[in-house]
Amino acid sequence: MIQVLLVLHVLVGAALLGAITHQSFSVARRPTAPGRSFVDRFRGVNSPTFTNVTVLLFFANVVLGGLLYPQYRVEVRPTLEDLQLRAANGVFETKEHFAAVAFGLLPAYWLAWRPPLLPARADTRKYLTWILAFVAWWSFVVGELLNNIKGLFP
Amino acid sequence: MPSARMNVFSIVFGVAYMGLFFWSERYHTALFRYYPVLKSFSREDLPLEEAGPAILWYSWLFGAAVISSVAALIVPRSMAERIGQVWVWGVPAALLIVIIVYERRWFY
Repeated sequence: MIQVLLVLHVLVGAALLGAITHQSFSVARRPTAPGRSFVDRFRGVNSPTFTNVTVLLFFANVVLGGLLYPQYRVEVRPTLEDLQLRAANGVFETKEHFAAVAFGLLPAYWLAWRPPLLPARADTRKYLTWILAFVAWWSFVVGELLNNIKGLFP
Repeated sequence: MPSARMNVFSIVFGVAYMGLFFWSERYHTALFRYYPVLKSFSREDLPLEEAGPAILWYSWLFGAAVISSVAALIVPRSMAERIGQVWVWGVPAALLIVIIVYERRWFY
């Protein structure tokens, strides 16, 4: 069951990265003309369409992370402590705090992206999207690092 | 009905979460703890040898959700609408920096 939840956690995280990264690039700079490069096309998406799915995936992944947490606390963390990998423990601590703060941001993020997209909220949309993207990427990378830590630090 | 109260919720949630976390760090206490080995919640700080490690994260999330929900409900809508947009993203951005500064203790 834990393995199923862990795979689901990774898959939801990957989908979240796709959605939030598209949106993050799209708010970075408003293109003046249709772009032809890969980055321009990656950025040239209809940003608001990613909002609901980002909220749903972020919420789902925090819940999945919460369900997996007991297993981490009982089996993984003691292993990290035995191996004296303090930095690995530290990056997980930051992950749990970042995820919690970002989880609380979801209502404001959803409101900022709600049509009509008011110019007065443009900075809020941009920075909240970047914060969520940063937390999603940090959490994903840290999760993968800890999942493979025995291979990385044999 | 979506309103600026959602911004109040988001601003207060992060502050409340970090407040509860620092409260636990300072006084070694929490609203409740979850003991995965026992598969049960407790308000007591049970001995590690008997109960195994405790999880406090759930209590910080729960406490922050309750505090921010109450704040969002009691703050008048007119006041919520006057909150500057910079607070909506500035407070969580500042909290991320506080987390990085505090948790750097693990890397020395």
